[in-house]
Amino acid sequence: MTDRLLRHIRPEQFRELILLVVTIGALLFFWTQIPNYFDPRSINRLTVGLAIPLVVAIGQMMVVLTRNIDLSVSSTVGLTAYVVGTFLTRNEVSPWVAAVMAMLLGCALGAINGLLVAYGGVPAIITTLGTLAIYRVVLVEISGAKTVTTGDLPGWIGSLPSKTLVTVRDYDLRLMVAIALIVTIAGYLVLRFLPFGRRLYAIGSNPDAARMAGLPARRDVFCAFVICGGLAGLAGFMYLVRFGNITVTAAQGLELQVVAAVVVGGASILGGQGTIFGVLLGVMLIEILQQSLLRWSGLSEFVKDAILGLLILIAITVDAVVLGRLREAWVNTRRRDRAAARLVMEGGADGAD
Amino acid sequence: MKRRTFILSAAVGPFAPAILASVATAQSPEAGSGGAAAPGQEVNMMLLPKFLGIAVFDQANQGAQEAHAELENPGKLDFVGPTAENSVAGQIEFVTNAPAGGYNVVMLSNNSGDQIAPAAIAADEAGTKVVTWDSPIPGAEGESLFVAQVDFDETGTVMAEMARSILGEDGGKFAILSATPDAANQNAWIASMEEALATDEYANLELLEVVYGDDQSEKSYEQALALVDKHPDMELIMAPTTVGIVAAAKALQDEGLCDSIKVSGLGLPDEMSSYLENGCSPEFALWSFVDLGYLTYHASYALATGAIEGVEGDTFEAGRLGTYTIEADPTRPDTGALRIVMGPFSVYNADNPGV
Repeated sequence: MTDRLLRHIRPEQFRELILLVVTIGALLFFWTQIPNYFDPRSINRLTVGLAIPLVVAIGQMMVVLTRNIDLSVSSTVGLTAYVVGTFLTRNEVSPWVAAVMAMLLGCALGAINGLLVAYGGVPAIITTLGTLAIYRVVLVEISGAKTVTTGDLPGWIGSLPSKTLVTVRDYDLRLMVAIALIVTIAGYLVLRFLPFGRRLYAIGSNPDAARMAGLPARRDVFCAFVICGGLAGLAGFMYLVRFGNITVTAAQGLELQVVAAVVVGGASILGGQGTIFGVLLGVMLIEILQQSLLRWSGLSEFVKDAILGLLILIAITVDAVVLGRLREAWVNTRRRDRAAARLVMEGGADGAD
Repeated sequence: MKRRTFILSAAVGPFAPAILASVATAQSPEAGSGGAAAPGQEVNMMLLPKFLGIAVFDQANQGAQEAHAELENPGKLDFVGPTAENSVAGQIEFVTNAPAGGYNVVMLSNNSGDQIAPAAIAADEAGTKVVTWDSPIPGAEGESLFVAQVDFDETGTVMAEMARSILGEDGGKFAILSATPDAANQNAWIASMEEALATDEYANLELLEVVYGDDQSEKSYEQALALVDKHPDMELIMAPTTVGIVAAAKALQDEGLCDSIKVSGLGLPDEMSSYLENGCSPEFALWSFVDLGYLTYHASYALATGAIEGVEGDTFEAGRLGTYTIEADPTRPDTGALRIVMGPFSVYNADNPGV
């Protein structure tokens, strides 16, 4: 029975199914623990909280697909939020212009990473660990210890976070969430249908083979970093809009949350594997855990951090073990199928040798 | 006699800044060694905040630079610090390397709890004095002196007073949004507020919970919203941190909750002005970080030049702020800790917006 099932469903799809079950399980567990858990208000909090990490995670996933990683995203978010915020305190521009500015700045920061990794041959983890620190220090230096505060920003920023597109029975679809969903759908289309998207998988699966096959591997890796930076820039704009008060610590630690979400969502750190749907689930699960632990009374602050880390670790371990088994089984059934087919083709009579 | 110098601004009105300066000078000198340190002596100083990039620490640097120029110190005054994510380890490293760097004094706003004590002791033995300001070393080991912005015990009373003035005479329920769980100053203030709440005077104020926003805007924002969800009957969030208070006010404003829930605590007037106007935060308090940096510099200079020995009863001149006396630190008993208290609080509200 499982054999027949395995023949039709790839292990990666099992993984997403498992993740979905775990996510629903987490929701149900916290529902028993936290009063009014499925209130429209709580659900709105959750969806709004998702928006920023989701946008960053989509970009991160593209980089991870190519067997690279971008640890500098949190500093990119913080730096763009601060720079655009400072610009807005002095100049009157429309929200669109501000958002495009943030994305361009993010692209530029991503391009630095991309140049070093794709053309300089520096390992991504070293490069982006360096730029993680460098972009943050640049932020500290240019800020001169001044904080961007909501009061200095133009009025439209104050009204954007609560701007709602659709409301169904008190459940809001906020503008911020809509932006994140658009980015997610765009990411899906790019990875599914554009040659560029397919090449990212090929490069990550086997970089040498991809290069031998004549794929523009360097350019594509570079582009993945630029896109990742650009999306982090967009997230920086959303961050500015949502939190309004930007200190030099803005978005610190976001890179861990995002990398964890991407990996929990099933993207392999070794590249070539992962789906947008998986990343969406991964971001959701981590955000649910974080938001719920905040609201779960009776736990000390330190314990909460430890629990979050433990849950992520469990999720990844279970996933790795279960997936390893499934993959083995899947490969075995394939092999048996092929052996059976060969037996049939060779007429069966020669089977004795 | 215990000083009670915090000013409720209703009584102060437009003269707040003048009084702020003059109350500090009103401290009566006691018997003890000391006096004015002669200007022009070479003392190499390091001003080491919890981390770089927050307005209040930059203001402390302004004050220290002012004193540096005033005392015509030919030595250096370096404003250095770790980045926020590396605060604890970074501070320990700076203190460890200070003697080798030729510094005579490290002026430290400690964010590392007692973990920094071994480094501070080593620095002290190598001839580099460690003077803390803003946040002390809890066990006082390796620390010559702590320059307290206000009497830490008084902070609790000030916060309880503001809570009552916002919640009304009938009292009500509130929560505290702090910075990091291991910040010595935050924990001392929270403890002193809990003490104040235990008295009959504030018996009808109920503290629901203490949560931590780590001095990050986003975490403080999320924590404020989580508090709202957890406690439907909460009427006030008290945030004794400049980052937390403004993040909490923004969160409540975004969710349209300012009518039912207010924010108070310690905040910078120019960051809080819009929330003061729209009623999200009708009252909050702070002291001058410029003066704190200025006073810390004077104390460190006097100590390093030998004008004072750094024992209980020493008095010294701190330029425009007047005369100060070193006393045993009652908030850290049994540690032999010494402190000087700058004081007082300024309370900001509609009558005294502070900007």
